[in-house]
Order: sequence, then C-alpha cells, then structure tokens
Amino acid sequence: MELLFPKGFRFPDIPNNFALLGEPIFQIGGFSYTNAHFTMLLVIAILSSLAFAATRNMKLQPSGLQNFMELLVQGLADFVVEIGGQKALRYLPLLGTLFLFIVFSNWLSVVPFVGQVTWLHSPTADYHITFAMAFVTWVAYQVEGFRHLKLSYLKRWFNLSGFKDGPAIGGIFVAIGFIELFSEIFRMLTLTLRLWGNVIGGEIMLVVMSALLFVPGFALPFVGLEIFIGLVQGLVFMLLALMYFMFAIESHDETHEEGSHTDTDRVADLEQHPEAVAA
Amino acid sequence: MEFAGLAAGIAVGFGVLGPGLGIGILTAKSSEAIGRNPDAAGAVRTNMILGAALAEGLGILSFVLGILLWTKIG
Repeated sequence: MELLFPKGFRFPDIPNNFALLGEPIFQIGGFSYTNAHFTMLLVIAILSSLAFAATRNMKLQPSGLQNFMELLVQGLADFVVEIGGQKALRYLPLLGTLFLFIVFSNWLSVVPFVGQVTWLHSPTADYHITFAMAFVTWVAYQVEGFRHLKLSYLKRWFNLSGFKDGPAIGGIFVAIGFIELFSEIFRMLTLTLRLWGNVIGGEIMLVVMSALLFVPGFALPFVGLEIFIGLVQGLVFMLLALMYFMFAIESHDETHEEGSHTDTDRVADLEQHPEAVAA
Repeated sequence: MEFAGLAAGIAVGFGVLGPGLGIGILTAKSSEAIGRNPDAAGAVRTNMILGAALAEGLGILSFVLGILLWTKIG
C-alpha cells in the first residue's frame, strides 16, 4: 500500500461531465453544424475513398484491397440472404451502407481523442444522427410495404375483417392493429436509443474505467469489449432493419399459404426465379 | 433535485435487472440448442442476437432515463 499510494489512499476523481451530444462549431441560420457532423463527413470521406480505391482498378482475380472489399460485400450479401431470402437482396445497398457506417463510427468512438477534442465526436454518439438513420430505415420500409402490398398494407393496423366472426374477434383484431401502429413508432425510437445508448455508454465507461484504474492502459480490455459491442450493434441495427423490411412486405392474408406459389419467401433455387436477383 | 442521483442509480439498476436475466436465459437456451443441433448454429445465433438486441433495448431505455436524471444533478 505504501508503494502504491505514497500520499495515502484517496479515491480518484471520476469525471462527470461528458459530451452526450455533438457540440456546435458554427451556426447557419437556425441550424448548428456540430462536430458530430464534421466527423460524419470524415467517415463518409474515408468509406467513399476506400470504395473508390477498391473498385478503381478491378481485376478478375482480386488481390489486396479489392479482395477484402469483395469478402465484405459477399459476407453481407450472404448474411442478408440467409435471414430474408433472395428478395432481401434488394435491400442490401441500404442495409450494407448502414452497417459499414455504423461499425466504422462505433469503432471511431474508442479511438483516443475522438469525443474529447473539439472537432471530433463519433457520429453514432449523437442521437440526432442515429435518429436520422432510424428514420430513413423507417420511411424506407413503410414505402416498401406500400409498394408490395398496396393499400392492403394498412390492413395490419386497421383490420376490420375479424367482425364477420363476431364482435369479440373483431375487437381483438382492432386492438392488435392499434398495438401494431404504436409499435411502429417505438421501433424507430428503440433503433435510435439502442445505438446511441450503447455507444455513449461505452464512451462513458471507458473514461470512468480509465479514471478508476489509475494506471494508463489498464482499461485496454474494455476497449476490446467496446470494439466487440460496436460490431454487434452495427449487426443488430442491420438485422433489425432487415426484419422490419421482411415484416413490412409479408402479407397477412389468410389465403397466403406456406409453400404456395404466392410464397416468394423461400425460393428453392435461382433458376426458377430469375427476376428475383435484384440489387 | 437532490435525489436525482439516487433516482438515476435506482432506475438504471432495476432497469438493467430484467434484460440481464432475459439475455442470460436466452444465451443459456441457445447454447443448449446449438449443443443439441450444431447444424442449426447459424439460425440459432441470428435469433439469439436479435432477441438479445430486443431485450437490451429495454435496458438501454433505462440507461437513457438515468442519463436524463443525471443531467439534472448539480
């Protein structure tokens, strides 16, 4: 104890002032441009230049960066197809972009100085940006639902077809529709808060642990944990968005039977369904 | 607002209890499922991550509530 604490033990000061949001750098009209926006531009620039560099000089036998990017895209495509079937490939551009952006931003949040200096603040550690992503996903899957099911998409919220089986069944259907309608809003909310809460919670935990453990570098295992959580959160956002897309485009009709010709969920092999290869 | 810190602690503590139990049960059951049928590991793992994310969302909500209370301190 003498060696560790020559001046006697004193509990360390734990910082309690964290940047929960990006801080405004300058204002345009009524809108402020925050450091989260700036870092978002940085992330977009890095990802775009990576994509550009990987596809600038494409070869049939890939190597180096192109190989890595092909592995990434193929992995994402396989993942999406495994969950949602062939028709989910249509949503791969949106979901894959979201995944790459989120994972990159999450990993940026554990990099030293990001979130601590003026110009850098991880984009996903600001709930405006996670809300924007959740909102884009939300609008996209509503549009897809309407595009696939036309006006019968509304039937999942306002379903009066149960009244022909008596008022009790009809009432239950209406109540379920009401719950569905509210869950649409909560989906957007939880998508936003899950990502933001995880990232900001991770940042706070890293700072607090660094302060608690005295010695610099002792908090490194938590950095590893945060890197893992960043990856999982990107995956979860993508998975949930894909699930919402799948729920939106699947029909709730009673005539719809598993394995019938209207069931495009499971395509046995690609030759039977050539136009399903989208994206 | 002198009890805001206490409220934040209680909110986060109790709020995380449920999702913690839920994710524990979820992981135990899916490990069991993978042990019984290793061929289905991929599908089980995907469902596990999905369920864990949904359960975790509730914990995160309480965490956000804790942060909201915490910013009231001082």
